[in-house]
Amino acid sequence: MTRHLDQELTALLDGALPPARAREVEQHLAGCASCRAERDRLAHAVQLLAALPPPPAPSPDFSRGFYARLDAEPTARAGVLELLRRARWRNLVPIAGGALTLALVVGALASYRAEQARLARGLDLYQDYELVAGLDAVQDPEDVLVVGHLDELPAGARP
Amino acid sequence: MASDPDAALMLAFQNGDERAFRTLFERHGRAMVGFCHHYVKDGARAEELAQDVFLKVHRSAARYQPTARFRTWLYRIAANHCLNELRRGEYGARREAAAREGGSAPVDLDSLPGGAATPEQAAVGEALAGAVRELLARLPEKQRTAFVLCRLEGLSYEEIAEVLETSVSAVKSLLHRATVAAAEALAPWSAPDGKEARQ
Ligand SMILES: [Zn+2]
Repeated sequence: MTRHLDQELTALLDGALPPARAREVEQHLAGCASCRAERDRLAHAVQLLAALPPPPAPSPDFSRGFYARLDAEPTARAGVLELLRRARWRNLVPIAGGALTLALVVGALASYRAEQARLARGLDLYQDYELVAGLDAVQDPEDVLVVGHLDELPAGARP
Repeated sequence: MASDPDAALMLAFQNGDERAFRTLFERHGRAMVGFCHHYVKDGARAEELAQDVFLKVHRSAARYQPTARFRTWLYRIAANHCLNELRRGEYGARREAAAREGGSAPVDLDSLPGGAATPEQAAVGEALAGAVRELLARLPEKQRTAFVLCRLEGLSYEEIAEVLETSVSAVKSLLHRATVAAAEALAPWSAPDGKEARQ
């Protein structure tokens, strides 16, 4: 009995050890009070967690709300594309320079703000690069990049 | 994975059968709310997150490969989405505040049934749930997800490895560390059957 049991105790409790290894672990436990105590401590937590009441059931509106959002999908997708276009265009503004241009842009953005706030919720859904890359809505790698870095856009430009 | 009826539905949806998608939502939507609830305290927010997850499924259906079990693919999308939600921080901050005020002092109990029979038992269940939420908030992301999937959602080590795109032995280690942390956090609570915990 040179080595005490470690993560195999948890795997044993979860029935996740191969039978041969489980028998060896049991043999060690039979002769080792310290590992038995640790096993009991872990088993205690596992039992408590198994007895935890389930999370409350969803509200009756859950399904209806989902289908409503699903029906609104094509619009949301078009909206995200629109936001992507603006985000790219905005990046070019500092290069163009000119305080007047900037003021006009800021003014235009302010009027879009309410709409952007709505779009941003849809945009959150595009956060996984992997998923974004697979969307036909996104046409080139730059779009993915822009989505991934929206939070780095100037504060005033964000919804 | 031809024996996975959900995978068959997903393939039907890929071929344009919108009803197949709706069947998948009816089957797994409510369970996803429960899963998301392990990441945010607010029930309405959990529902919204679960809806987000299915909108993602709808949008990225073309990327689903039937080599992956639908359920593990779904959990992967959900876990990523919930972790992003936590990273955004707003709920993280609120959750910590709630955890502090909750404090969840252990209550002595004779029994801890799944469905509480008395108000006292319900209160104990509430308090224990608070202690678990506090524990989850402290766990590193991967440990937290592995732990939730195993202890609260009942997935096997193999399924969790699929969700996390890692090896079973990595899952073993994640789960052990998280379970040790749970043992620490839940030590003051008495066992569900009122006796000393035995295997
Ligand atoms: Zn030992």
